[in-house]
Amino acid sequence: MKNLLTIGLPSKGRLKEESISFFEKNDLKPTSNGGERNYFAQIENLPNSKIIYLHAKEIVQRLGDGTIDVGISGLDLLKESPINLQKKIEVKKKLDFGLADVVVAIPNDWIDVQTVADLEEVSFDFRDKKNIRLRVATKYPNLTNNFLVSKGITQYEIVPSLGATETYPFIGSSEIITDITSTGKTLKDNNLRVLKDGFILNSQACLMFSKKKAKNLQTFLNSLTYV
Amino acid sequence: MKSKNYSENIIKVFKKDGFVLSEPDVLLDSDYIIQRSGENFRKLMFTFEDDAGKSICLRPDLTVASCIKYLKDNPKKNSKIFYSGQAYRRSDNRKDKVINDQLGIEILGSKNKFIDDLKILKTIDNSIKKIKIKNTSIKVGDVSLFQNLIESLKIPQRWKMRLKRHFWRPQYFKDLLNRLETSSDVDPAEINLDKKRFSEMKKLNQSKEIANRKVSEILSRFDRKIKDPRLFSENKKIAKIIREFLKINCSASKLEKNLINFLEKNKLRNNVFKDLSTIKKLSKINSKTIFSTNFGRDIEYYTGIVFEIYNSSKKEIARGGRYDGLIKSLGSKKNIPAVGAAINLNNLKI
Repeated sequence: MKNLLTIGLPSKGRLKEESISFFEKNDLKPTSNGGERNYFAQIENLPNSKIIYLHAKEIVQRLGDGTIDVGISGLDLLKESPINLQKKIEVKKKLDFGLADVVVAIPNDWIDVQTVADLEEVSFDFRDKKNIRLRVATKYPNLTNNFLVSKGITQYEIVPSLGATETYPFIGSSEIITDITSTGKTLKDNNLRVLKDGFILNSQACLMFSKKKAKNLQTFLNSLTYV
Repeated sequence: MKSKNYSENIIKVFKKDGFVLSEPDVLLDSDYIIQRSGENFRKLMFTFEDDAGKSICLRPDLTVASCIKYLKDNPKKNSKIFYSGQAYRRSDNRKDKVINDQLGIEILGSKNKFIDDLKILKTIDNSIKKIKIKNTSIKVGDVSLFQNLIESLKIPQRWKMRLKRHFWRPQYFKDLLNRLETSSDVDPAEINLDKKRFSEMKKLNQSKEIANRKVSEILSRFDRKIKDPRLFSENKKIAKIIREFLKINCSASKLEKNLINFLEKNKLRNNVFKDLSTIKKLSKINSKTIFSTNFGRDIEYYTGIVFEIYNSSKKEIARGGRYDGLIKSLGSKKNIPAVGAAINLNNLKI
């Protein structure tokens, strides 16, 4: 169908619930014919549209290749994606959920390290005294590289992580980490502390458009009365 | 002259001056380079994985590749080498060339700085003369002069190190100078909180490690930091001196006089800048040699003299410099000083 509007929504967790609730507040209730685990849904009062539930990271990628026209995903995931992909996506609205920060966190007991400038000094100590690079475990290698290099930290090595990044400094896999946090509790519980000026990105859920299709999406945007 | 003839003639000069062919590897272990040069080097590298999942890159730089080969082969010997080959660099700027044809020389394990710096400069100059490129000009800088200046200033050691480390990153360096003038990086409220933890940690086993740092290491840095004796009025003066120094730009023959004026004006000791003999000699090799204190700030590994040679249309045809710390940072246990330069064949082609 030529004018079919394809919408990608997060497939699990709080991001899924809040995305659905955002649609409902706008009088666009997703309904599904299949079981609870069906990945497809429709919106009754928005004909010619379908919803696909996808991993939040996947939503960014599918917006990039144009498989979906509209999606809700985290700003962190968009900003972490390759620059060519980002150019194909437009952030239409920042939504008031999924609020979290991507931060640099260090072991609590590194009491001599309060700022990024301190960390820079320590990173050179690693190089000069131990002849190794400070290791930074992260799920966000691109954001981390851009941030650290812009703050004068160049002597480090990224250790890619898929999850439970907070454990890395204490099992010898890295010295410090960057990660996403909303309340800071997980960091605190794992004896980590955010650097005073270690905020890489304020992230939140965003409504994103595929630029290829942006022209045809005005009607949809008009239907969002509740913001 | 065709580029093949260029190469042949240049190589003749290299050989005549005692440089021996070395063929560094095209494929290098990326993790090895990243671990030793830092993550920001990755941006320059073309990286891919082999079947075993090992990350490999095309050599981004022939100096680095030559040093790696030198370390693998025989790090005991001094070596005077030349290479002829391509370096592969990624760049955000589309105008930059990805493949760079280079002919270069290096003295690895250079014991006599003055003789070797001049040797490199003379050999490169002779090569350029041999291929009949005339009306060249040279731009030269010397990172070690900046380091001499910083050492002579009255600021905490931490700040000296910091300024020296970031000399080659002009934008960040500017920020650093602003910070030196305006803020203290010690927050008194924070310090009081941490002092409590400080005394607790003193009771711990001092060689216990927390994320790869010994407790003693953390405490001693904390102690040094809270004793940071910076004074704001002094810092303003110092930032001004550094800025003024970085504006010095003159013919190499006038450098000594200008530096003396600079020292007198700022009431600094008259023996801050230790040795200018190589630069003075350089102005005899080529009368169009310009010295700039702000020059050579784009490649981190230089530690002394840095130069570029241009043809009559101001295109860079050669560049080089002294890099005393690179081989150690690539894994050598000893310090192995070195100096080298390369001719950029791409810019010789007409």
